[in-house]
Amino acid sequence: MNTILQRASRNFLWQHPWQLTLAILGIALGVAVVIAIDLAMESSLNSFKQASKAYSGTATHRIIASDGGLDEKLYTRLRVKQGITHLSALVTGYVKLAQTDAENFKLVGIDPFIEKSLHSGWQNGQKENFSPELLTRLMTEPNSILLSEKTAQRLQLHLNDKLSVVTVQGEQQLNIIGLLPGNDAVSEQVLAKLIITDIATAQEVLGLFGRLSSIEVGLVNDVSKTLAAIRSVLPGNVLLVSLDSQEQSLREMTRAFSINLKALGLLSLLIGIFLIYNTMTFLVMQRRRLIGSLRLLGVTRQQIFKLIIGEAFLLALIGTSIGIGLGVALGQGLLVLISGTINAIYFRIDSAPLMFTPMQIVKGMVLGLGATFLAVLLPAFEATRLSPVKVLARSQLEAGSRQLLKAVGLISFLLIAGGLSMALFSGKSINFGLASIFLILVGFGLLTPALTLLLMKFIEGFFGRFLGILRRLPVRMVSSEISRTGIAIAALMIAVSATIGMDLMIGSIRQTVAQWLHVSLPADLYISVPGDKVTANTALADHQLKEKIAHLDGVKMLSSVLQTKLFADGQLTKTSVYEINAKSKEGFIFKYKLDDGIWRRLENQQTVIVTEPYAYHRAIKIGQKILMKTDQGALGFEVIGISAEYSGDQGHLVMSRQNYLRYWPDLGYTGIGVYASAGADLKQLESRISQLLTAQQSVKSNVDIYNASMELFEQTFTITETLRWLSAAIAFVGVFSALMALQFERTRQLGILRAIGITSRQLTVLIISETGLMGLVAGLLAIPVGFIVAYVLIFVVYQRSFGWTMAFYFDSVVLYQGLALAFIAALLAGVFPALKMAQTHPAEALRSE
Amino acid sequence: MDQPSALLIQQLNKSYQESDQQHVIFSGLQMQVSRGEFIVLLGRSGSGKSTFLNLVSGIDPPDSGKIIINGIDITALSEHDRTLFRRHHIGFVFQSYNLIPTLTVAENLLLPLELIKRLTRKDRDDVAELLDKLKLFERLDSYPDRLSGGEQQRVAIARALIHDPDVILADEPTGNLDLDTAEQVLELLDILVKKAGKTLIMATHSQEVIGKADRVFSIRNKSLHLE
Repeated sequence: MNTILQRASRNFLWQHPWQLTLAILGIALGVAVVIAIDLAMESSLNSFKQASKAYSGTATHRIIASDGGLDEKLYTRLRVKQGITHLSALVTGYVKLAQTDAENFKLVGIDPFIEKSLHSGWQNGQKENFSPELLTRLMTEPNSILLSEKTAQRLQLHLNDKLSVVTVQGEQQLNIIGLLPGNDAVSEQVLAKLIITDIATAQEVLGLFGRLSSIEVGLVNDVSKTLAAIRSVLPGNVLLVSLDSQEQSLREMTRAFSINLKALGLLSLLIGIFLIYNTMTFLVMQRRRLIGSLRLLGVTRQQIFKLIIGEAFLLALIGTSIGIGLGVALGQGLLVLISGTINAIYFRIDSAPLMFTPMQIVKGMVLGLGATFLAVLLPAFEATRLSPVKVLARSQLEAGSRQLLKAVGLISFLLIAGGLSMALFSGKSINFGLASIFLILVGFGLLTPALTLLLMKFIEGFFGRFLGILRRLPVRMVSSEISRTGIAIAALMIAVSATIGMDLMIGSIRQTVAQWLHVSLPADLYISVPGDKVTANTALADHQLKEKIAHLDGVKMLSSVLQTKLFADGQLTKTSVYEINAKSKEGFIFKYKLDDGIWRRLENQQTVIVTEPYAYHRAIKIGQKILMKTDQGALGFEVIGISAEYSGDQGHLVMSRQNYLRYWPDLGYTGIGVYASAGADLKQLESRISQLLTAQQSVKSNVDIYNASMELFEQTFTITETLRWLSAAIAFVGVFSALMALQFERTRQLGILRAIGITSRQLTVLIISETGLMGLVAGLLAIPVGFIVAYVLIFVVYQRSFGWTMAFYFDSVVLYQGLALAFIAALLAGVFPALKMAQTHPAEALRSE
Repeated sequence: MDQPSALLIQQLNKSYQESDQQHVIFSGLQMQVSRGEFIVLLGRSGSGKSTFLNLVSGIDPPDSGKIIINGIDITALSEHDRTLFRRHHIGFVFQSYNLIPTLTVAENLLLPLELIKRLTRKDRDDVAELLDKLKLFERLDSYPDRLSGGEQQRVAIARALIHDPDVILADEPTGNLDLDTAEQVLELLDILVKKAGKTLIMATHSQEVIGKADRVFSIRNKSLHLE
């Protein structure tokens, strides 16, 4: 019985390949976006772990220092005096290939024999290839290195060839004495960006004489005893951290970014749910005669319900499988964007191979099947209620839908009110902030059919007298088939309002950042002084450079900054150490009004200024103290101001140079600001300064820095833009599917119009007018909803995510764009169904039911 | 000079392709109908009655042969021109009424007029008057789904006549109605069509109608036979 029953029902599906394909596409696209984001995000974060494993192996802890690095004597002391054996010293830094522009490699200096005990990735499984002699050569031959086989092939290098790299020390020649084969695709990709050498070579190449970047510790037995032994000899600026907690803190750092991206993925899925709902409703309603007949034959309601759910399950299975495949392909593309953003805002990740785990397949399956089940529940329930004896006319079904709209209206008000309350009263939770946007969007989505009816009534009441009957028909068609048109308008409205909301949000951030950059770049020229600030030697060179610049013609005064990392409240924290002059004081935008005494206190007392993201995430208020590890032990620094910062979401500390030098060693500068005398020729001054700089140092005007910063800003939003367009594409498929279904359902009606003398061109115009009208309604409704979304994004989600306060900048162009997007998308989606219907033979149309 | 026939059909052939098979519906069909004549078409279900009406209205093109209405060979017209011809010269009444569900009763009647000219106040008054005659004046602003079957068919007949066409084609107009209502509808057709001198071709099974027709044809063996 069931087999024939299923066949009776499924034959109908095969007879509607368009609807079937679009439903599967809806599920597939929704799942693909979610999976792609998840894959790309996880892979980016995992790449950090993988890269670390390649040279840290089974290490459980790491000894690190604030900028300045570790004294190599500490390593000897731990190993010899404390007797701790599972230790491996590392010297790491970035080098640039001399031959290939802008290609960076991580140079890792290790002790190959000692490091073996930690089973680091590059040594595992390579026993046959690496004889002790080779490792001895690595230690004894100057500038000898190991390179991955793949990289060597790509760069057309062979064993014993030279590799030219550029570092702060200038150009250097490295000798390739061994090639590293990858054990698998992941390790191959990780190794592809590494150059392995011994500690001495790394120190020499990177200019880190006598310094180590970290000491890797592998603890298995007597963990607490060994940790205590290590801690007892660590100097003030050195910290022992567990690798798990370090990885956790990286994940924590990118949590806001990750949540925001995942929310964008879920938005795509939400729009996909509308699409699935629409298709399943169409498939149920089109089969009302069949379902009625089956009920007459004795098929129970449960059997009908199971039949519909079974079909949906099959569609979901196919759609989800395609979606997972698509997600992997899409993830590859997103990986580049996501890694780029993490690199720009958070921390450096070298190479990120796309990693796919069985868990992610399960996640994709659960999402795809779950979303389809949710979408199909209502149509399946409706199917069970179809009368066995009376096949309802379309108009009667619509009358039923209008009744339903009233109930849905009430629910939508509750959702919107709930969403707004959640946005306002959910503390600092980003999840709740984003959930509030979803509630608001779903609420307005559900309200859309009712609002559409009102708008149609208004349009007809207002313009009806000027329109003929034929021109009034599109308005009537939209409202008379609201159960179908309403869903399409709602899906489009959600996508467009999300677009408007994000556009207004990005515009507001752009304006805020632009203003902040204008204020915080008071100098005329900025000199970048890169390099690892580790020794007094480099500090001396920086001082000499500054001195020379100060004596150049046209230089009125200088300011300086040292970007370093200090331990504050137990965490390695970015700190900007400023040498502030009268002019550079204007470069700070304070969140609270402060008296002039702040600058005196910053110079002379144990004080810091914190930036807004730092204060927000740690709930720090003016007057509070931050415990900092200094060479003189842990000291409390009072927060005396909170200043604006939009360069990242972690924030940093600001300290006066004078104050800094009381507690930490002089590490020179990372930047020097040049204030030109009145009338000085900036181009000439820039050229004179250039002559004083090394190849790694550079001088840029404040305008160039402003432009570069704004470009970086735009880059960081590329991923948001991409995902937004993906949501819009799914909404487009939704509208297209709804219109195809709609035109199919009204084949006979359109046939009658043709029979009474409407030409195929008039019919095309009629259908396109209807879809254009639907787009216009979606666009009009999306404007206020987009405003609300923007408001919640700016004042709730982004503030909670990044700790930024921003002004709301209204840009009317965004609204016109949103309106145009909805209108054009609907028009485009309507063209094919319109042409198809216009081409349908009227005799056939009249025969159809 | 002789007035042309209202409808002249010469050597009409029509077939449908279904999968690999060709189904011949009409073969060498001939017919001549005078102005004002009431023709009834009989035939079994699937014999081709609806196809015949579709061919006459220009909705369906024949494979070969000619269909001349008021001296115009509609088989020589393009699809677009046939539509324009239908708009002016043909009125349609269907078994299942086929009113436009998104238009009110009055708008359903005004639509054929709007397709051929700019609507005037007089048109609206005429529609109101016609609906009054049909005892449907109170339903002027109602949507079709609010009307009974008989009411809907009365509106459909009014729609077929409102633009003063030369030929009215009715496809089993009483097929969905009970006896009393069917009688009312036939009476209405009699008054509005026959007395107005319109040519009426009706496909039906109703014996009542057969009695009122000028000539009765049946479709058998792919051609028309005068009963």
